[in-house]
Amino acid sequence: MGLNGAGKTTVIKLILGLLKPTAGKIKVLDGSISQRLVRKRIGYLSELPYFSKQHTGRELLEYFGSLHDLNGKALKHRVDEVLEMVRMSKTAGQRVSGYSKGMLQRIGIGQALLGKPRLLICDEPMSGLDPVGYKEMRDIFIDLKKSGTTLFLNTHILDEIERVCDRIGILHEGVLKETAPISKILESSVPVDYWVDVEKGEAAKLSGLPFQESVAHSGGVQITGLVLAETLALLTSRKAKVNAVRPLSSLVEAYFLNAIGAQDHLSYRGERGRS
Amino acid sequence: MSRIFSVALFTYRELIRSKLLFVWLVCVAVLCGLAFLLSILSFGSVLEIFMDLGLTGMEISGLLVLLLSLVVTYTTEMDQKAIFLHLAKPVTRGEYLLGRIFGFYTVISIVVLGMGLVVIGLVVFVGGGQVPPLFYDCVLFIFLELFVLTVVGLTYQMIATSMVGLFLYSFFTIFLGHCVGEVQWLLAQDISHGLKVLLKVIFYILPNMEVFNLKDRIYDPTMVIGPAQWDEVLLYTFAYSFVVFLIGWVNLEKREFK
Repeated sequence: MGLNGAGKTTVIKLILGLLKPTAGKIKVLDGSISQRLVRKRIGYLSELPYFSKQHTGRELLEYFGSLHDLNGKALKHRVDEVLEMVRMSKTAGQRVSGYSKGMLQRIGIGQALLGKPRLLICDEPMSGLDPVGYKEMRDIFIDLKKSGTTLFLNTHILDEIERVCDRIGILHEGVLKETAPISKILESSVPVDYWVDVEKGEAAKLSGLPFQESVAHSGGVQITGLVLAETLALLTSRKAKVNAVRPLSSLVEAYFLNAIGAQDHLSYRGERGRS
Repeated sequence: MSRIFSVALFTYRELIRSKLLFVWLVCVAVLCGLAFLLSILSFGSVLEIFMDLGLTGMEISGLLVLLLSLVVTYTTEMDQKAIFLHLAKPVTRGEYLLGRIFGFYTVISIVVLGMGLVVIGLVVFVGGGQVPPLFYDCVLFIFLELFVLTVVGLTYQMIATSMVGLFLYSFFTIFLGHCVGEVQWLLAQDISHGLKVLLKVIFYILPNMEVFNLKDRIYDPTMVIGPAQWDEVLLYTFAYSFVVFLIGWVNLEKREFK
């Protein structure tokens, strides 16, 4: 994860050897990317992949498969398998020029899977997809994960991270700020904003909460997680009926903002003050 | 080897299915139209006109298809970054470049061959004459010339940082390559030392397209292409292409894709 310009795509290009490091060495799958064996075990999907429009989906996959030294029946079998995997079997005979963005992205994933990669690197794989395409892609990722492929995703989409990833790395201004397992983040005490909803007609009980981190609205109060327990205790003491407590942002988002030091700029706290 | 073949096949399909081949059809139409027109206007030299027009048409259609293919595929390869997916595969950059060269050359050969058949058709069926034996040597020389220019063009494509740059490099290489005779003539004149050095650099760096030019001498009865000349032309073709390919390969290896 990282903001635009943080260096995420640069990292991917460095791993793949499309860019050369100005200092240091990159080791991937216990080797160097210049080794053919290492390249064979890596799959790559670029952001908005461009394919020659004159080819059909099947021809593209056959071509990319042949670069993995597949040929004859083995190539055909693997292409069929991959087309099935990315749900493109029925449209594989069509020219790429007639494909939607989602189909192109699926063919993109397909070409990356041909060599049965141990590591699949995807740069913004959800970019430009509609909700259906997004879900399809996410399902493919989850299937791949189950099959034991390591996914390296560069993405802005927090939902995708929470559902697919086991571990996140936060890149900021070219520096890897943090890496952490998702499970740890979900258990962490990073402050998240909450919405506390009270019974209709009890809005008056929300006024005068003694926390700078709270903003009262009609029917509820927006607070940070730091004062959640205290707020609930206070509302209980005022005999307010709390209907619901909902997080307003994800833990991953909060963790990310915290890691890059952007939380103060983006939170309502600094701007609104005491309610 | 199979990876080179795969890249070549992919490139061939990409080009042959593109609309670039309309250029070839336009060339054929222009050639036939001009041949028809000139055959009406001229007296007694119809076959020579067909032959001259045909050979020039073969060369120009090959060059046009090469230039346009280079420019169009540059947009997809470099600007739209299609090359990223290819180079991330277990294929070396040298194999990739070689595959592209063979793919391009196959398409250009088909264009030239097709044009050649049209010319033979014009000479035999419209002109009612016979194709002179030197015609075939001449066509083979055009094939060799286009091979050299394909290698040069694709090397430029891998080095160029813009489509305009690529077009200008390629166009002037082709143009100046055909002016090597004039450069040699200038070198023999009484000119300044600095200009001579510059001309010599041009002479040795640019492909000498005059080596392949037999068109002007096709009706010269004394003209015979012996094995020694063939050896010389073949050696020049492959040595020049090999050196240019090496330069392209080294550059592609060093190139960073931002």
